[in-house]
Amino acid sequence: MSGEAPRQDDAIESQAIAAVKGGDHHAYDYLVGKYMKRVVSVAWGIVRNATDAEDLAQEAFVKAFESIDRFRSGEPFGPWIYRITTNLALDVMKHRTKFRHEELSGQEPAARRDAAELPALAGEIGRRIDQAIESLPAMQRVVARLFLVEEFGHTEIATMTGLAEGTVRSHLSLARKKLREQLADIYGEGHE
Amino acid sequence: MSEDRFLDQLRADARALRYEIDPAGASRLRARIRARLDEPTVAQFLAAWFRPLAASLSALALIAGIAITVLERNQNISLADNIEISIGGDVFSVGD
Repeated sequence: MSGEAPRQDDAIESQAIAAVKGGDHHAYDYLVGKYMKRVVSVAWGIVRNATDAEDLAQEAFVKAFESIDRFRSGEPFGPWIYRITTNLALDVMKHRTKFRHEELSGQEPAARRDAAELPALAGEIGRRIDQAIESLPAMQRVVARLFLVEEFGHTEIATMTGLAEGTVRSHLSLARKKLREQLADIYGEGHE
Repeated sequence: MSEDRFLDQLRADARALRYEIDPAGASRLRARIRARLDEPTVAQFLAAWFRPLAASLSALALIAGIAITVLERNQNISLADNIEISIGGDVFSVGD
């Protein structure tokens, strides 16, 4: 993933978008099938709860469908649906922060600490990395996860989160410093 | 690869943390999205309710219009049936 301007190089995707714009609902299935897994992963990385992530993915796809007329033809669908997903997930995150007292009082499950849903392939190093990322402040955590786990570039993350690219780099730099401290026993002190 | 070896290594290891929705969940989600897209929009929903209502009101307006026209015509006929003529201050009525 790099900061290059996105371009559409999937002919079927272009045709599907054109068909959806022309009123063919079924053509949207192609876009859902192509991007669904990544969309759910992006959402899960922010809300850390499978049910919420699936709900968010559904809302993101419906929202994208309803505003497909505003989508510029010739551009890839991915960055657009990822941006919608990230915005919705950040809204959920802000809402949770606002009503955190409910979570702390035990009336609501501690969804963010749902480590049981971690991918089975994560392994011990994965779990340590996950814990380290989760210990970061909110936006550093989101940026770090999008950069490290989802492997988006700085420009893509800026577009998805609505942050300036410089702010993304700043968050990542701060996150890097903290992660390096926390994971020093795994990666050593020599990495620069 | 960037020049930051730490981030590169971390990225390689963190890739395993991507969440993978299971096939059953993916099928369920596809079905839910399809169902939502097939739901009528607010405009379609309102149109479905208002179309018969508008048709009924139009029919009533048409019937009322026809009724008024018929009544007015009958009134004109009845007026035309009773003509009054005034000659030299005397009024003469020409009836049936």
